[in-house]
Amino acid sequence: MNEEEGIVYSKENHLYDHIRFAGQRPTQIGVSKPRIDGVPKVTGAGKYTGDLKFPNMLYGKLLGSPHAHAKILSIDTSEAEKIPGVMKVITAKDVPDLKYGISPARWDENVLCIDKARFVGDKVAAVACVDEETCYKALKAIKVEYEVLPAALDYHTAMEDGQPQVHDEYPNNINTEIHHKFGDPDKAFAEAEYTRTDICEGHRTYSSPIEPHSAISIWKDGKLTVYCSSQSVHYFQYYIAREFGLKMGDVHVISPLVGGGFGQKLEPTGLEFCGAVLSKLTGRPVKMFYDRYEMFQHNRGRHQGHYEVSSAWKKDGTMQAVKVNFITDGGAYTSLGIATAYYAGGLLPLTYVFDHFQFDLLRMYTNLPACGAQRGHGAPQPKYAFESHLDNVAMDLGIDPLELRKKNVRKPYTTTCNGLQIQTCRLGEAFEKLGEMTDWDKKRKPGHLPKGRGIGIGSGSFVTGAGYPIYRNDWPSSSAMIRVNEDGTAATLYTQAVDIGQGAYTVLCQEAAEAMGYCYENMKIVAGDTEVAPLDFGAYASRLTATCGWACKRAGEEIKAKILETAGFMLHLPPEDLICVDGVISSVSRPKVKPLTFSEVAKKYFIIKGPLVGTGVYTVPRLGGYHKGAPVATSICYSFCTQAAEVEVDEETGEVAVLQAWDVHDAGTVINPALMQGQVHGAFAMGFSETVSEQVLFDDKGKIINGDFGGYRVITALDVPSFTNALIPSSDEPSTPWGLKEIGEGSNNPTMGAVRNAIFQATGVSCEKLPMSYENIWRAIQKKKAADAAKK
Amino acid sequence: MYLPDFDYYAPESVSEALDLLTEHKENAKVICGGTDLLPKMKHELLAPKVLISIKKLPNIKKIEYVKGKGISIGAAATHNEIVFSEVVNSKYPSICNAAAQMAANQVRHVGTIGGNIVSAVPSADLPPILIALGATAKIAGPGKERVIPLEDVFTGPQQNCLEANELLTEIFIPDGDMTCSTYHKFALRRAGALAVVGVAVALQTKGCADGACSIEDARIVYGAVAPTPMRGVKAEAVVKGKMATDDVFEEAGKVAYSECKPISDFRASEEYRRNLVGVYTKRCLKRAIENGHK
Amino acid sequence: MTTNYITDRHGIRRYMVTIEVNGIEYTRVIKANVLLVNFLRDELDLTGTKKGCELGDCGSCTVLLNDRPVNSCLILAIECDGMKVTSIEGLAETESLDIIQQKFVEFGAVQCGYCTAGMIMSAKALLMKNPKPTEGEVRAGISGNLCRCTGYINIIKAIMAASGQEAAI
Repeated sequence: MNEEEGIVYSKENHLYDHIRFAGQRPTQIGVSKPRIDGVPKVTGAGKYTGDLKFPNMLYGKLLGSPHAHAKILSIDTSEAEKIPGVMKVITAKDVPDLKYGISPARWDENVLCIDKARFVGDKVAAVACVDEETCYKALKAIKVEYEVLPAALDYHTAMEDGQPQVHDEYPNNINTEIHHKFGDPDKAFAEAEYTRTDICEGHRTYSSPIEPHSAISIWKDGKLTVYCSSQSVHYFQYYIAREFGLKMGDVHVISPLVGGGFGQKLEPTGLEFCGAVLSKLTGRPVKMFYDRYEMFQHNRGRHQGHYEVSSAWKKDGTMQAVKVNFITDGGAYTSLGIATAYYAGGLLPLTYVFDHFQFDLLRMYTNLPACGAQRGHGAPQPKYAFESHLDNVAMDLGIDPLELRKKNVRKPYTTTCNGLQIQTCRLGEAFEKLGEMTDWDKKRKPGHLPKGRGIGIGSGSFVTGAGYPIYRNDWPSSSAMIRVNEDGTAATLYTQAVDIGQGAYTVLCQEAAEAMGYCYENMKIVAGDTEVAPLDFGAYASRLTATCGWACKRAGEEIKAKILETAGFMLHLPPEDLICVDGVISSVSRPKVKPLTFSEVAKKYFIIKGPLVGTGVYTVPRLGGYHKGAPVATSICYSFCTQAAEVEVDEETGEVAVLQAWDVHDAGTVINPALMQGQVHGAFAMGFSETVSEQVLFDDKGKIINGDFGGYRVITALDVPSFTNALIPSSDEPSTPWGLKEIGEGSNNPTMGAVRNAIFQATGVSCEKLPMSYENIWRAIQKKKAADAAKK
Repeated sequence: MYLPDFDYYAPESVSEALDLLTEHKENAKVICGGTDLLPKMKHELLAPKVLISIKKLPNIKKIEYVKGKGISIGAAATHNEIVFSEVVNSKYPSICNAAAQMAANQVRHVGTIGGNIVSAVPSADLPPILIALGATAKIAGPGKERVIPLEDVFTGPQQNCLEANELLTEIFIPDGDMTCSTYHKFALRRAGALAVVGVAVALQTKGCADGACSIEDARIVYGAVAPTPMRGVKAEAVVKGKMATDDVFEEAGKVAYSECKPISDFRASEEYRRNLVGVYTKRCLKRAIENGHK
Repeated sequence: MTTNYITDRHGIRRYMVTIEVNGIEYTRVIKANVLLVNFLRDELDLTGTKKGCELGDCGSCTVLLNDRPVNSCLILAIECDGMKVTSIEGLAETESLDIIQQKFVEFGAVQCGYCTAGMIMSAKALLMKNPKPTEGEVRAGISGNLCRCTGYINIIKAIMAASGQEAAI
């Protein structure tokens, strides 16, 4: 470390020594730099929304409906208002009646229910009090008279005539209906040598970020400031401004540290909307918060679905056509569910090649908590059904499941039958590598593994950022600004991107430093703030490293150009002869010329020209076809991966343990290997937990019965298997900065299928129902035993 | 979540504690670890006006061996104090293992044996093994003290036999003739999960070292499959006086399957619980004979 | 017997407690229903200790009470009178991080960070008692702490590294 200059020179070994990057190998990316927010997080100094306090701050809570479907006849708040410390109680009459939602095609949610409540927990009133304790007392004192209505709780039957209507505007409770046909699937099925149909049942899960949502609203002098647990300050700003008729510039949204998002913190909630009203009415800051049970009720987690998958084949194992017919449970509101619906089928053609595809789907409204975009968005459950189906096909055709996948694997620079354009793709190599790592051929030989043991495979692919913004606009999807400190010893990156734990701030600073020729260690970041940082749409669709990465790269390159120009002036050399690496500027043609440091050049720049600033912006090029829903599933780039799991099943109890899991990724250039591995581990663990352990359960009145971490069993450190990661290294993806690819969501695509297929090999039992809980596995084993006995 | 207001007392003698209980009757609740009580209060299932902490009572956390008689465990001994107790480990490691299977480390440092018993949750992990080993409970009341078999404490799900002015002060595990014991739970996650089924077995065996292992006496207790911890008297009858063979264990499992009285809830169905009781009874018998009290 | 209280005009008793937190004695007058987690966060503004579930299921609020890890959401502050509490803020020396904190940063064991404080406190308690734990003991030692981001693997590696060992996972 050069103490005088305050510059740290990187000495880490480099991951990409073997790759040439336009004549200059990167030094700031491809390295496991420590997280920029690591120290504040390990010392407890970092502040999340719920940790913040403001003078005179009140605490607020929402009152939820106890009924899944009920007319609100009257609300009496008088008793609550008498309680000492209760400052304000609001109901629908006190809030705007403009319907909102994150998907513009279906704005269907009110700030507080006007006519009726549509699920247990639907927001009916809100309170602001001097402390948390008083909030709970106030909620209990609000008297609401309901007329309980019959509820639509089963999405399988919600479309039938005579079922209770969740929203009058949507007949037969159909929220979204998709009927896509690409190629001629009917003909392909009619002419196929072999066809098969399987049906799988999904289940409701909820990502349960460990940080419960909270929001602090401060409405003062016509300006609204909101601190909140948000994955996207922009979408919050846009929708909050829209709801209250404010100018976007008068709504300041700040996302402090966020304790996990997984898609569930992408849209504003009653906490932000009601908190704003309560703050306006009381003239004081109001902190609103959900407790754990309310988190489960607010939900916006994984859709459950009924998945029918059919495929048509040549006998040699060539896949020709696929038909899928899905029904999914959307819950009471749309949330991000339209996109989820299109993703459910739209992403299926990515990993394997087939020319004919039919995709039908109904997303149903039910009187249950609304579902949204949970990690992997619409993909994981359909992918489970599809990967299960593939192993059934492999068995019918007498082909090894890995061979079957290799035979039909996606090729690079191809277009899927539904119009998704793939550039680089190394899934084939990933399959090869997985086969070697797992000792696949040996383990799949009958009798090789002990009784009750099995190994299974799944694959996945995901968008590296969505092709289109969530609401229609023509803004660039990412922008960034870098300001170098006057003396050049630090540089600050400004962007609205949000770090929800995935490591975006670290990775974006690495990308900026790389582009600047600077050092990551001297980077600072100011982000997740709509007033001080330029636009970025936020953390979703695995987009930031690529799209915001482009903006950071371009901003960094602008700085580097200015530095080189100034250095040229200082050294009397043409800028084209200079390079800037790790904060050192040197001459290519005259190696003996004493190099300059970035900081001395930056200081000189400031003295001559003023602030050293670079800006960058990135707009996604136009992608996709012209059919309805074509924008969903488009992306500038797709990641690919495959996973295997080796399991042991106790046939007497159904208990399943994953002994070892493997992941091979085609993730292009990796910016930070440690963070990348963390994403893969986390996605696998979350996927595995969803597969065998988690399920949100309801009583027959639509009330959640396991809305806590005792009953909703997230796996623990004792449940995760050993895990081996591998990469198929590459850097030739043309659409992203340095050829990187997403990592956060594709990684949980293969998991359910891999576990199911391993159990299939271990026991011969097909788990057609999620979760693959011990009891469900035991039941499947019992069923098979009975069937086998009947055959004899 | 929040706790409703209450007054708090920390008496330093049993008589003082009993006076407070007598004074406040149903309005009072005894708090020891609080890991069961406080969540119930947060869920508004209980709203006591008075909490009486018994942590400061003399000897209430003491674990000792009374020579020639047995092990005495104070009601406020925490699960981890039992897990790491040399006294208990040297005599009945099976009790320590049962305590170690409970909840999470953070809870085991706070939750107590007394709380685990008086809360009378059917899935509690300690009662089955304690009952299998013939434990008794000492209950202090105004001007009297009674000692009853532990199994008599339980009268229903989350219901015990204590009067409002009584206090559980000690658990006693008498020296006995049992040569081996074990407790195993089946839970839906490897840590921090309630028992879906728990089975405890204590056996008196003879001749096992010589390869002709016979079962002289047996006590089998099922947890989480009846309103209270349940003695498996029919399964006991199957194994008593028999040679310890896989067939006998299998048969005991079948009897256990039919004699237990589980219900269905969101964790497991009745049918699945029955199956698990059968499997775990069979396995526990085998493991106890193989491992002694370990 | 605890008699050190005053009664407010609503008849609610407020008790005087003295708790040593991170080496400093704090005396406060509190209601009996104040939980240790709220005492730390609200009375002392030590917000490093997080609330995740409030029922003792997630471990985010883990602190050391007389050197033992406990869920501070299930402990009455009044019951900590005269006891010693260590929270995440008390772990690091003034300038340097505790070895566990260092290894958490180094091994990518931190993602969103919300479970991190509790996780580190459980790890600290484990290593205080057992300086060379096996991988299985590490897993068991943090099994009362839920993490949604990391899949635990880098956390296990970091704790093993903090004990001078390498994890074979």
